Amino acid sequence: MEWATLIGRVADGDREAFRRLFEHFAPRVKGLMLKTGASSDDAEEIAQETLLAVWRKAAQFDPVSAGAAAWIYTIARNLRIDQVRRAARTGAVDHDAELDYLVDPAEPADDVMARNDEAGRIATALSSLSEEQSMAIRLSFIEERPHPEIADFLGIPLGTVKSRIRLAMNRLRALLDETK
Amino acid sequence: MSVTHHPSPELLAGFAAGTLDAGEHLVVAVHASGCSACRRLLRAVEGIGGSTLEAVEPAAMKAGAFEAVMAKLDRSPPQPSVPADSLTDDELPEILRHYRIGRRRWVAPGVSMRPIELPGPSRSRAFLLSSNPGTHMLEHTHTGSELTCVLRGSFSHEGGRFGAGDFDFGDETLDHQPTVGDGEPCLCLVAMTGDLRINGFFGRLISPFVRL
Repeated sequence: MEWATLIGRVADGDREAFRRLFEHFAPRVKGLMLKTGASSDDAEEIAQETLLAVWRKAAQFDPVSAGAAAWIYTIARNLRIDQVRRAARTGAVDHDAELDYLVDPAEPADDVMARNDEAGRIATALSSLSEEQSMAIRLSFIEERPHPEIADFLGIPLGTVKSRIRLAMNRLRALLDETK
Repeated sequence: MSVTHHPSPELLAGFAAGTLDAGEHLVVAVHASGCSACRRLLRAVEGIGGSTLEAVEPAAMKAGAFEAVMAKLDRSPPQPSVPADSLTDDELPEILRHYRIGRRRWVAPGVSMRPIELPGPSRSRAFLLSSNPGTHMLEHTHTGSELTCVLRGSFSHEGGRFGAGDFDFGDETLDHQPTVGDGEPCLCLVAMTGDLRINGFFGRLISPFVRL
């Protein structure tokens, strides 16, 4: 069964669906957090909190606009931002790092066609990106690897890592623009 | 209104990955909230985040993790999606309504600022800068970086004209002399890095701006 379908069931309070999501995604969120430098305790906490948020926000998940993994990734990322902010500022009030930039007031939220079209564009662009370019973006931004490691991984000189990343991002932007 | 100046792709990717500091994060968020092209790029990078999540080596959760989360579920039934905060301040973009904004201070004739309280430490400090129409700023450079999103009105410098929704980036390599457009006051959201000494902060804020 697709993850998106399971999230839909979680929105209806289905605990078995939630267990399956937990077993799949919690260890992966923890793995990604460890990779980006979180301590084991922090990674565990974010993984648990992420899945808790999946339960709470399941009704807000929009399978048309975002894939399940991308949605869960953004939840984990926001919780990580919050955690870092909290750690550095004791006694501060919680602040939701999940800025609502995803909602465009100019685009009616119930216009499924438009959202479908938008999601299709993004999917097309991502699939047109070369493996190497997608890897450059992943290593640099998502996994936050230092440039020497990226050079190593991609088998390119350290001096060209920066331009490779920029090239990859510019290509992604061009792909997104041209599929209009 | 059409947005013509955007954050660099690297800045957008850093935003999507959650690695920008709180001030920079806010300015990019406000720009993206009004720019569908940038939102699309953010979505795409988040898509790469999703595929990274699927591909990453799973790390075993602690014993009892699932039960611990289940215990919390009982205290928090699934919630239907709720409409955004309905505080109304028509002057400011939605995102800024979630921030505490300090009192207005005049920094020069015709130029005032309101500090924005950021959630957690940030290399950059964020503020709203309001300038009267036609204000000229003295030629200045930056000791750090400066991210700006125009909320209302416009300004111009060598890099072009910046109107509502436009994003501008300046750093120490830039030496510029912005002029505020005629007609209406220019309101900008700014995140600026530099040294954090409070005296220097206000001193430097005051010094570059003069109304001619």
